[in-house]
Amino acid sequence: MSEALIIIAMVLLTVTTFFLMTRLYQRFPTPILIPILTSTAIIIAILLSLRLPYDTYMTGGKFIDYLLGPAVVALAIPLYKQRIMLMKNMVSLIGGVLVGSLAGILTGLWLAKGIGVEKMLVTSLVPKSVTTPVAMNIATEIGGNPSLTVAFVMIAGIGGTVLSPYLIKLFRIDHALGQGIALGSASHAIGTAKAFEYGEDAASVSSVAMTLCAITVSILAPLFMMAFYA
Amino acid sequence: MKIFVTIIQIALLVVFYLVGDWLQRLLHLPIPGSIIGMLLLFICLLIKAVPLKWIETGAGFLLTHLTLFFIPVTVGVMNHYQLFAGSGIFLFFITLFSTICVMVSAGLTANYFAKRKKKISCQKHSS
Repeated sequence: MSEALIIIAMVLLTVTTFFLMTRLYQRFPTPILIPILTSTAIIIAILLSLRLPYDTYMTGGKFIDYLLGPAVVALAIPLYKQRIMLMKNMVSLIGGVLVGSLAGILTGLWLAKGIGVEKMLVTSLVPKSVTTPVAMNIATEIGGNPSLTVAFVMIAGIGGTVLSPYLIKLFRIDHALGQGIALGSASHAIGTAKAFEYGEDAASVSSVAMTLCAITVSILAPLFMMAFYA
Repeated sequence: MKIFVTIIQIALLVVFYLVGDWLQRLLHLPIPGSIIGMLLLFICLLIKAVPLKWIETGAGFLLTHLTLFFIPVTVGVMNHYQLFAGSGIFLFFITLFSTICVMVSAGLTANYFAKRKKKISCQKHSS
């Protein structure tokens, strides 16, 4: 009985917080107030102050987490609707994703290795720009710790999404394709959710960029690890 | 009535997810089941095996609330805050800086190709 109560309480906590934070963001649409950041911070603060561990939260949280799979499947719809536009822009897509994947792996490796971080942390950090399940696979493959990888993936997702409007303006990424590919390559599905603010074409290129990035990083990351730690 | 339709359509999307997940384990693919499910649904839409109207409402619901489904995973960061304590804060800034590099380089490259293409097609029209 108490188990069922905890489940309901945790689901309600998540949904209500997200609903309220979405309303807040609609009223004050500043990048720092994106619902994923504010909701996560508030829920962590509530759990810590009630001394509830993450595992207890997840007894209810897993039901929301379960919908992530079908939600990613649903990205096939914008993909299908925009298929002609995507085929026409294959060069931009593949070019952007390749350059982005390389930049992510190389800067991550250089900087982390440069300041003398231990290898296990470097390998957990390298796949950060890729969607969570793939990033965890890559980390395992190159000798990292997948649960640490999730933390890095979340920094890339949330941090990138918060900074994206400033970067897009500063570097004059003024084409919907550039905006979508930037968000999908750097901030995976969290970035793709943000790309819907730029329109359906930006969102669909973002989801394609996210998928392509997952593939290129899973191929490139093990190769660069070998080169850097030969 | 609309809730009913939405639930049935989400159930259909779950089926695609489960098939993708099953294929991933069966064939030991390095791509996650959800992405395989997405590709399967995309193919089904292309060959008209699944009409768009069978899933459009359910998919629309999931995509509008896409960020909500990430929250349980992002809350998991609470187990790793000690990683970023002390000198570990460098890891946070490296991750952020590297993410900026990815975003800017991918965005600028794609933007360059997209605009060059536009220019070429404009020239074709004017000539």
